[in-house]
Amino acid sequence: MNDLAIVIPVVLALSVVLFWLLYPRKNQKGTSAPPLPANLNESIPAPMHYRYFREIRQALSKDDAEYLLRAAPRNVSKQALRERRNVALGFLKGLRDDFSNISRLGRIIAALSPEISHKQEAERLKLTVQFQLLYAVVWLRLYTGNLPIRQLERLTGLVSRFAARMDEAMTEISAQSASPLAEKLGA
Amino acid sequence: MNLLEFALSLCTFLFLLFLCGFVFARKVHRILPLFATYICVLLTGTVGLWFIYRCFGFHSLVLYYAYWGSVLLNAVARSLAIAELCRYGLRAYRGIWGLIWRVLTFLTILLFVRTVFDAWGEPNRIAIYGTTIDRDLALASIIILVVLLLFRNYYGIALEPTQRAIALGICFICVVDVIGNTVLRNIFTGYLLSFFLGNPEAARSVMSSQFQRVSDLWSTIHLASFMFTIGIWSYALRNPLPKPGDAPVLLPLEVYRDLSPAINLRLATFNTRMVELLKP
Repeated sequence: MNDLAIVIPVVLALSVVLFWLLYPRKNQKGTSAPPLPANLNESIPAPMHYRYFREIRQALSKDDAEYLLRAAPRNVSKQALRERRNVALGFLKGLRDDFSNISRLGRIIAALSPEISHKQEAERLKLTVQFQLLYAVVWLRLYTGNLPIRQLERLTGLVSRFAARMDEAMTEISAQSASPLAEKLGA
Repeated sequence: MNLLEFALSLCTFLFLLFLCGFVFARKVHRILPLFATYICVLLTGTVGLWFIYRCFGFHSLVLYYAYWGSVLLNAVARSLAIAELCRYGLRAYRGIWGLIWRVLTFLTILLFVRTVFDAWGEPNRIAIYGTTIDRDLALASIIILVVLLLFRNYYGIALEPTQRAIALGICFICVVDVIGNTVLRNIFTGYLLSFFLGNPEAARSVMSSQFQRVSDLWSTIHLASFMFTIGIWSYALRNPLPKPGDAPVLLPLEVYRDLSPAINLRLATFNTRMVELLKP
């Protein structure tokens, strides 16, 4: 195969990526790393979505679905089931946001650290890519109706436990380095 | 040199002069000295080639060698300007800069070795060497810029608007160079190879006009896109440059040491559960 068939598509693909990366985003406010607040605990990204899992679970329960199919006209029940699936997908997206916030915290800490472990950074990058792929698969299965809601509940429980432990860890670290941090971050 | 080439060369010179004025008026050389040097190299190269053209003629061998020499010199100056862009604003983040410069240096060495290997087997003619090396260096520049921007995007450290415009201009000219040089190299090493390798007198009489037409077309495209790039840079420099921001306040090392492994461990657990979700 000659160069034309390889180099030109590669360079066009790379230029699309590059132009996309150069395009200023709305959430990019500055040219420095996002700052951490003076109180480290405030920087903990609170997982918002898992809190509503009880309500979501109720709305998506098997009993509700069966009741709908039994009691409502066919078109209404179909519409309701479609809405339920959309709610579950929206909820999954919310869980991804929670995951992204936690991962983002790791990146901010790395950016503001005077020294980092290359191994840790490579591992986090690998985990983030892995999560994105898994998310895509879970999303697809949920979309096609192949993922039971009970399994989603396990995922939600994990996020909430993680957030709680991160909270504890942050509190501990803030307590350990309270004075130097307050001095440096308050400056 | 036909009228179009003459007009484009003159416009390029005027555009470059205009840009050079902007660079020094905005004191870009204080913030980005290697980019300012790159612009000066471009201007000097254009003026130098013009003088050689006036003294020795458009079809002279001196101009031919000087042209390819200036192409390679420009590629080196551009590479240095890219290296400066990589360093700009990231050096203050000592931790991630240590990671980024190692990755970029490794990548640069890899791409440079690839360039050498790519040019190695080519027929021994400066036009083919020049086209190959220029193409590969432009491709390497795009790859380095993409990796740099991926790092910046990942850690949430955006480029300033001026630097972004500089990167955009470099990227645009590199894309045009890669595509143009790839097409040109294919023609040189395929259809026109006998022009380079065969009996010079016999080949020239047959293929000289085709070679000239290909060179002229490429020259016109290159000059037009180059002027567009200069337009991007001039537009970016229309306003005074903002003062460089203060150095970031870094966290105590313990914060990273304590939190990073914990975060990674939890992310790994999270992924394990995601995999479990997918098991029947």
